[in-house]
Amino acid sequence: MSEILVDKKPYPPGDFAIWIIVYVELLTFGLLFVGYAYSRRVNLQMFNDSQLLLNQTIGFINTLILITSSYLIVRGVETIKTMQLHQRYEASMRASKWLLGAMMLGSTFLVLKLSEFSHLFTQGITLSTNTFFMFYLLLTMFHFMHVTLGVIILYNLYRKTKNQGYTPADCRGFETGAIYWHLVDLLWIVLFPLIYIMR
Amino acid sequence: MKLHVEDIFAVLVVLSFSAFLVGYLELFSGFFAIFLVISTFIKGQLISDYFMDLREVDYKYRLIPTLWLVVVLSLIAIAYMHPISE
Repeated sequence: MSEILVDKKPYPPGDFAIWIIVYVELLTFGLLFVGYAYSRRVNLQMFNDSQLLLNQTIGFINTLILITSSYLIVRGVETIKTMQLHQRYEASMRASKWLLGAMMLGSTFLVLKLSEFSHLFTQGITLSTNTFFMFYLLLTMFHFMHVTLGVIILYNLYRKTKNQGYTPADCRGFETGAIYWHLVDLLWIVLFPLIYIMR
Repeated sequence: MKLHVEDIFAVLVVLSFSAFLVGYLELFSGFFAIFLVISTFIKGQLISDYFMDLREVDYKYRLIPTLWLVVVLSLIAIAYMHPISE
């Protein structure tokens, strides 16, 4: 079992620029989450009725997918950071497998989300159907775009890792991509109960 | 206490499953709304601390996602506890 070690560092992992992106994304999504909650206050019945058209099971499966993929990324980062240089090939292959798993899960998330969108669109639901679906489509499509970018980032990390491009001393790019993926997970962790569950 | 990423992963899965159960069993009282908000805070904090590795860095970096979770989830809780229309 992998162990989390505790020692304070002056800076967070990854490039500092990713943290600016993380904070801006948190602010943007935060405003949308709060906007959703306060719009619901004045349209309670309509929000509750519209929410019944969503598939909570798919939402839950997508939550499990993102949590699991985040876990795989953590294992990948850990594998690179604890590798012995004489075992660089084996460690890189192992880390690339963690990344491949995360990438496949991310792709499954996208497929499930597309099926959800297509189901709603065939029912004639669009951004202008009502305020609930305006927020639902805006939030989930915005998040969908982030997951798509995340999968592209993971693919690039996977290729570089497979080519033994990272070492414990030089894995900042890997950490930066990992932070982005965890951001996508963090946003979904709030989005799932807010949009699918809370009534 | 030293925690393993597997422990964090298990807690995240259990809390997500309990949130799903609240929706599946249609338990929509004020108590369960608070439960959902608190469990979402715990999940978010675990991701920030252990997956993003902010637990090991200077407090000012760790505080931003925590404050974000507190502010956003508190405002959501207030909006859900005080609806305007029925």
